[in-house]
Amino acid sequence: MGNRQDIRVILGSLRYKSAPDTTLLFNVPLIQTAKENVEFDRSLDVNLEQVFDNERQNSDIIRPTCKFSLLFQNAYSGFTNYPPFENNLYYLNADSAAALQCLSGATTISWTGVPQYNEFDFIRTDYNVSGYTQPPNEHLTFIPKSASSYNWNFFVSYGYENDYTKPMRATDKKTNIILNWIVGDGIPFIIENTVYNGRNTVSFRCPVKHGMMVGEFVKLSFSYNGTDLFQIDSLGSNTFGSEEYVFNIIDVGYLGGTFSDGVTGTAKRVILNEHEDDTISTYYVRRNKILTDSENAVLVKAGFEQNIFGEKKKYESSGFTPNQVARVSVKEGSQSYTLSFNKDVRVNPIRDNQKRPITELFFTVVYKGFFGWMFGLPDGSGGYHGLKQGWEFNLPLNSVGAPDYWWSNFNSNSDTNIPVGTYTTAQSIPPYVSSSFNGFTYIESLKEGDIIDGDYCEWSDYDQKERTISNIFHKLRFNPFVFKIGGTVANQFGYYYQPHHVLTTRVFSDYIEDGDIRNVVGIPDYSHFSTTKNLFIWRDLYPYGFVDSGGIGVSYPFLNGVHYPFKNIIFRIIPEGTNYNEQTIIADPTIDPCE
Amino acid sequence: MSNKFLFTIPKGNKSIDLPIEIKWDFYGRDDSIELYEEEVLVDIIGVAKDFEILRFSHSPYIPNQKTEIKYDFYFYDSSVPVSASTVSTDWVNSYQFPNANPSGFSSTQIYYYEKPFTKSFFKLDFYDTKDTQSQTNYFTIIIPVQQGATESASISPLTPNVNIRKPSYTLDFVGDKEGFFIYWLKNEAFLNIDTFYMSAKFFDGRLGIFVKMMNEPQSSLSDKFIFDNGQYFFNKVVIDYTTKTYEVFDYLNNRIGAGSPIKWYEYINP
Repeated sequence: MGNRQDIRVILGSLRYKSAPDTTLLFNVPLIQTAKENVEFDRSLDVNLEQVFDNERQNSDIIRPTCKFSLLFQNAYSGFTNYPPFENNLYYLNADSAAALQCLSGATTISWTGVPQYNEFDFIRTDYNVSGYTQPPNEHLTFIPKSASSYNWNFFVSYGYENDYTKPMRATDKKTNIILNWIVGDGIPFIIENTVYNGRNTVSFRCPVKHGMMVGEFVKLSFSYNGTDLFQIDSLGSNTFGSEEYVFNIIDVGYLGGTFSDGVTGTAKRVILNEHEDDTISTYYVRRNKILTDSENAVLVKAGFEQNIFGEKKKYESSGFTPNQVARVSVKEGSQSYTLSFNKDVRVNPIRDNQKRPITELFFTVVYKGFFGWMFGLPDGSGGYHGLKQGWEFNLPLNSVGAPDYWWSNFNSNSDTNIPVGTYTTAQSIPPYVSSSFNGFTYIESLKEGDIIDGDYCEWSDYDQKERTISNIFHKLRFNPFVFKIGGTVANQFGYYYQPHHVLTTRVFSDYIEDGDIRNVVGIPDYSHFSTTKNLFIWRDLYPYGFVDSGGIGVSYPFLNGVHYPFKNIIFRIIPEGTNYNEQTIIADPTIDPCE
Repeated sequence: MSNKFLFTIPKGNKSIDLPIEIKWDFYGRDDSIELYEEEVLVDIIGVAKDFEILRFSHSPYIPNQKTEIKYDFYFYDSSVPVSASTVSTDWVNSYQFPNANPSGFSSTQIYYYEKPFTKSFFKLDFYDTKDTQSQTNYFTIIIPVQQGATESASISPLTPNVNIRKPSYTLDFVGDKEGFFIYWLKNEAFLNIDTFYMSAKFFDGRLGIFVKMMNEPQSSLSDKFIFDNGQYFFNKVVIDYTTKTYEVFDYLNNRIGAGSPIKWYEYINP
């Protein structure tokens, strides 16, 4: 009774003159400052599993590693009269060129071929090629330390912010109608009126996966009789796989040209029409922030692992080379590589593009091309056209079999923000080259803190979920001043690759939590106040090592007080116009209990 | 206090122990005890230490920021004792020692990569001090004989000369890489060492013995057999945790291996 000092009892007659004595009752509040001591309370079993888990959950250090299987088809042949390049091609017309050179004695014969695999490989191995990487008359002197960074740079990045203003462009495959839109406007579409399941239907055909479901609503970029919100009645257009690209609303007899065939616009997904503001999706280009420098990457060969396509090489006899030097030239290789970093990534201090804890990191690969085979076209403002960027829907060729206008030098919307560097060599440049040639160009290395564009995404506050609509691709093109492959110079064929490869470090729950801040403790700071529910909503962050019954979760090694997530990546360098979209996944064989 | 005590008149001073059973505890103490539990666990189990290793490459040097490191190993025909008349050229940079029988590998063994040759290797040991009485060997680098430069040799009087391996190595990021990188702890917290002392040995797969190497030929020493072991059996290797590189120094603290080869000479016992 720690409060007994605070209580004074006074006899009634002493309170004032003639006051009577009365019976007094008062409640004594009992404040307990002690509790029963339970045996074994002070005994604790040391549970190593629990200690391990505590350390695992408390650690925020990530050491990401991955293995690259490099797939490449050396597709574009050309010619050059720059001797260090010409003498190191994989020749395709060696017989005729050698005969022509022999008969005419000319030194400007066009030896046609493809650049050797070393121009695309992750680690160059041509460190001792006389006349190219070693004197005399070398293109440049090979620095062995740079063998793994001459062609490509490797980084770790994360989704940092969203760009809602990026201009986009796609072509409707069926009508070749051009769709131009701002990414924040939503999903582009073109209207086609059809009859679906016996009902008149307005179909909206999209060049990307719309991510909508039957029963949800769609907010269009235009309105009909004052309304722009319509319920989705069905998906697809009776063709295989069209459900993901086509959504339909019932044609109740709309008048005028609002829903005529060929009308284009943009649409946003709305889950509940009565709570449009709370349940509408937003659309943006995720921007990735670089967390490491190029010097932090440690790229090595993955033991003896090679892809199934093998190495393609041939012996170039001395009589069939322009400089009469015999050698072995390699067209395509098959080596796999492993990538790690000598810098750790601490994820607690950083938040993703939705201001949530980091659950995804990205292996970011950027072509550097220091040997100068690529880029090189002046941009008219003192610089050069470097890497171009686009999304999956920009990759197909146009209706005449040429690269889409999106990739043209005249379209600055496809320019990346990665600067281009330039240098010259001591070697003389043949006249046809030097007329406009200003130097060999390459992509300068990114640094920690740089921000580059990423995937085209959708976010729903009500769903608390981000969906990648389309992956970003980079495109590299040959420098026509030093290697001519033909075609329109301002929009020539090239190679694509996907720069960002996601590495899942943690996952959010597949359920959505909600709570009132007045009676729920522990509402995370990344929660969203839903005006629909009048509650805060969020997805729980699963602990490391926890995988729920649906298979959602991550479990990867934890040792040295550090997490070691790993990913296998198939890195494709895709020639323009080839079938880049390899969605078919071969399922694991079924294992029954008998096995 | 339910015990029954019987007090009698003492003849001297007596004391009794009163067992007081406490059945209560202060609130709030649990929290501090939980913290204390963590402290105890750290004391008895410890916290996770970072044993991750990194690769340290040879520090670039001018000109052209080269990174290659060269090792040349010289062998001596041990059938001839070292004496005052021995000169440095008696050590040769070849697996084929002078007077090849019984010393040295034959050119045929080397050319055809016979097992006695391919099972041989150079071993670079890295210690924390050059005091052989107290040093600890922290790691070892093996350089296989299949790497290295070549020399011309005859394997038959009926055929032209062929190129066979010689113990001269140029190690770098590309080409011959085995032995170029030092793999050492990334985190300095566990073992804060940045200076090592490197010694070299050659395992002779032909004889099954280790041959000790030193950084000067014994011919250059005033006393061929009594000398400062720390000075002649070790080179200093300093690693830089910031740049992830290493440099090699001789006993005078001059950088070696930056362009010119680091030479190791077979040591001959008296």
